[in-house]
Amino acid sequence: MSAKKTPSSRLITERPRQLLRAASIWSAFSGVLWPVQAALIAWVIQGWAAGGIGAAGWAAAAGFALLGLLRATADRVAGRRAFAAADLVVAAERKVLLDRESLRSDRAVSSADLAALLSEKLALLMPYVSRYRPAMARVMVLPLLYLALTASLSWAAALVLLLAGPLIPVFMALVGMAAKEASARQMVEIGDMNTLLIDRIAALPDIRILDATEKSRADFAALAEGVRRRTMVVLRVAFLSSTLLELFSAIGVAMVAVYVGFSLLGEITFGTYGAPLTLGEGVFILLLAPEFFQPLRDLAAAWHDKAAAEAVAEELEARASRVAAQVLGAGARVDRLGGPATLEMTGVRVRRGGLVRAMPDLSVAAGESVALRGPSGTGKSTLLDLAAGLLRPEAGQITVAGRPLDDDSADGWRARLAFVPQSVHVPDVTLRDFLDPHGQGADLAAALDKARAGSIVAALPEGLDTRLGETGAGVSGGEARRLLLARAFLTGADVILADEPTADLDTGTAGEIIAALVALAEAGRTVIVATHDMRLAAAMGRVIELEGAA
Amino acid sequence: MRAIWQIFRLLWAADPHAMWRGAALSVVVLIMGAALLGLSGWFITATGLAGVAGIGIAFDVFRPSAGVRFLALGRAGARYGERVLTHDATLRALAALRITLMRRLEIWPIEALRQLRGGAALTRITADVDALDGVALRLALPVAAALVTHVVAFAMLFWLVTPAVAVAIALGYLLGGSLILLRVALRTFAPSTEAEAAMQALRRRAIDLFRGQREAILQGLLPTWRARIEAEDSRTRAAQDRLDRIDTGAGLVLSAVVALVTALVLGLSGGLIAAGRIDPAQAAIGVFVALALAETILPLRRGLAEIGRMRDAAERVLAPPPAGARPLPAVGPAPQSDRAAGLEVCDLSLTRPGRDVALLSGVSFAVAPGQMLAISGASGTGKSTLLDALAGIAPLRAGSARLLGVPLGEWPEPALRQHLTLLPQRTALLGGTILENLEIARPGLTEDEAQEVLRAVALDGVIAERGGLEARLDEGGAGLSGGESRRLALARALLRRPDILLLDEPTEGLDAETARRVVAGIRAYLPTAAIVAATHREAEKDIADMHLDLKDFVQNQQ
Repeated sequence: MSAKKTPSSRLITERPRQLLRAASIWSAFSGVLWPVQAALIAWVIQGWAAGGIGAAGWAAAAGFALLGLLRATADRVAGRRAFAAADLVVAAERKVLLDRESLRSDRAVSSADLAALLSEKLALLMPYVSRYRPAMARVMVLPLLYLALTASLSWAAALVLLLAGPLIPVFMALVGMAAKEASARQMVEIGDMNTLLIDRIAALPDIRILDATEKSRADFAALAEGVRRRTMVVLRVAFLSSTLLELFSAIGVAMVAVYVGFSLLGEITFGTYGAPLTLGEGVFILLLAPEFFQPLRDLAAAWHDKAAAEAVAEELEARASRVAAQVLGAGARVDRLGGPATLEMTGVRVRRGGLVRAMPDLSVAAGESVALRGPSGTGKSTLLDLAAGLLRPEAGQITVAGRPLDDDSADGWRARLAFVPQSVHVPDVTLRDFLDPHGQGADLAAALDKARAGSIVAALPEGLDTRLGETGAGVSGGEARRLLLARAFLTGADVILADEPTADLDTGTAGEIIAALVALAEAGRTVIVATHDMRLAAAMGRVIELEGAA
Repeated sequence: MRAIWQIFRLLWAADPHAMWRGAALSVVVLIMGAALLGLSGWFITATGLAGVAGIGIAFDVFRPSAGVRFLALGRAGARYGERVLTHDATLRALAALRITLMRRLEIWPIEALRQLRGGAALTRITADVDALDGVALRLALPVAAALVTHVVAFAMLFWLVTPAVAVAIALGYLLGGSLILLRVALRTFAPSTEAEAAMQALRRRAIDLFRGQREAILQGLLPTWRARIEAEDSRTRAAQDRLDRIDTGAGLVLSAVVALVTALVLGLSGGLIAAGRIDPAQAAIGVFVALALAETILPLRRGLAEIGRMRDAAERVLAPPPAGARPLPAVGPAPQSDRAAGLEVCDLSLTRPGRDVALLSGVSFAVAPGQMLAISGASGTGKSTLLDALAGIAPLRAGSARLLGVPLGEWPEPALRQHLTLLPQRTALLGGTILENLEIARPGLTEDEAQEVLRAVALDGVIAERGGLEARLDEGGAGLSGGESRRLALARALLRRPDILLLDEPTEGLDAETARRVVAGIRAYLPTAAIVAATHREAEKDIADMHLDLKDFVQNQQ
């Protein structure tokens, strides 16, 4: 199993890799100092047994303290470097994800899931980079060094370590497999407690109205108890793995201690190279023994950091590997595209949901008002998306204002557009900023009146300064569409695209919207609506019937 | 800090027995670890001395070496027991914490609860309870175990070595360690709040961007929105960097404390040996124990570095409910009601939630038992607000409403819910089986009753196709189509068998034929209920006995 191949390690690019190398070197350096400290202690104790060393003892103690400070400093430098590496990895991935997802033309997953990936989930990579990777580096170097030092004094003590050490990963792997199996058996159909909690909280208004708060709480308690029981079955096995590690390291240390003790007494005479162990050598070996196992324990403690990072990295890779159809242009604000407000489509084919389908040809002159009519599923919405450059055609030609719609022209074309989607996303901003996103300071009241949306503003508590969106005052779907039409008047957009603007509305509100669209058309703007509303279609200058496209 | 203490008591109370045993075992683990190294050091030094003195034969090697082996095995065993016990107790505590949170949320105004449903608020709650999970396991238990271990170590060193060494170790660790950890805790408050706030803002901005992506692209605002996310990203990174600097700095100083205490014991012991107060083997105990006790303080820094986050989370979880309309008393005796009185509304005037301008006024109607009233009106005229007001969720501005002969404001909420049910515009189902979703409305529901109500809302066929009453829905009821979820929520409301049933767009998303069957089914299922349905569809209007158009009552027409 090569560490290079895992998805998580592929995320570490050149600069973080350098930082991690520096972190590993500092971390290993700190480990290398320990034998020196151990030797000082061993020398002092040997001196005590030999009848005292006087003031030299304090000097050795001071040396020990200084080396300790040096190690602590090296550890800190290593930690800071590793953190910097982790920070860079996360920042880079966040940028890659944003670059790709913000211009993606299809959204397969929910925005909340994507936002969770971008914020908290990406942050799960940090402990992996900053803890697991340096621990990995220490495991490669330090146990071998301590083993060699031990072996230089006593091959028998080294043999004890050598036997206990490598067995650890083997047993841990075995237990790990058992734990995985147990968790596969137990975790079927159960979510974790948080999912259960969120589910209940989201339904709390309903639960209150049904007078079922106590029942709901009791149900939750029963479900949580089930989660606990099943989790414990898994944990009992999983903890065996870390217990084995503790056990082997404790037995290793104990056996080294016993071996050294018996050697010093002269009851064991093998294991060294000729001369028997001295007390100082024995103490030195004893002090190295726990440190031999420490890197392995650090690695084990960081193991689930790696598991978490691996899951995130796999999700990132899966997302990156899906073909991402990008919108045209960059979504930036540029000067308006010149030329007449016309739209032509010939031979356009587009990929939607894995299928390539042909779009009908279309030609709309400047100032014309057109209704695209047809049963649902004929591609009316797709056609409007294509016209706004929100979808990239697979083949064919889209011409706007007399020039091809492509990455260069899309932003300029959109600067002339007003697009009224079926479900309007109302961002978390004030109504004023919503209507006048670029702060042009135009006459809001006049535009609202033209779009027959003045009454909406009057009903809001703080008028134009009311915050909209999720945390603010809500506006209904019909109100939002009218506000968007008001914005079309305001920004002077000369091409209006509207997708089913009267769907799901009562006749009164629908009438207001039709009137606003007619007003826009009468003002000489190009209006294209997708609809199956007869009244709206009749109000437009031309109706194009779409057939069920093959 | 009081909030953390309150949370800790709550977690502890979930299973004090297991917590106590877990805490005791974590002390045992630490003590055995220190004893293992201390005994090993003593053993080697003593055998070394005996070997040098040539009295190796007389030395009792078996008891110490058995002690070393016992401590080694015992420590591993105790560690296993500690982990199993504390995790088990923690899982119980997690459930208790979440139930407490649910209890606290239950008394919120329903309007505030509805706003909670947005993704951001719910993830915030999850993040908070997750942060609090560590209060016992990563903060309180390790700190307490470290303190107890130091007391025991002090006593043992006092007895086995000498008071001077015991005092040096205790003072060095307790004083140095607690000063440093206290400082860490205090210094992390501000940056952890900042890091958490920035992370939440980053997530909110990201949701805004992904949700409003088309809007941003159409307006040419994508780079601006991106820049805002990047600003929050930088803020998060800066705060985390500050936390890491404090954290690694604390690690540095704590390691320095270990080195200094050990060096102090090493130097001090030399003098004590020279003075004949202790022998070298006793001195070795002191040195090795000083080293081993590092394990008591080094792991504490992680828990203490989280203390800022824990405090903020605890305060949010324990915060008093938000202000908002609670038009009904929460408790009280059920009033004397008269089923034959139905619903009477007289000269009612309403405002939209959070706004003070009148939305509707002068609304009057009466619905007798067994009658159905259809209310129509353009979107935004206040159909939902009217139903909310009649259900005691939104306040009345003026006028009166009598339910079963009793004025609305005199109904305590639980009593009202026994007689009145509302099907709101947005409903939520639960993860679990179809039957469990229905049982929430009527505990102890039989299968026959369940089938009967499913027939009433024309859902029996659909459910049978999906595997019957035991078919499972995912979280939020995912797995059914919009129209199907709607009808299941409706079935749930019908199971309450209310005297007054308020329905907000009950047939939204259904085709005309099914809508008709559903409305007819509702009336047949509840033949004596007074029903009010807000709607803009023909099915309800045709089947209803009366019809009211709200446009005649709308205020601030311009």
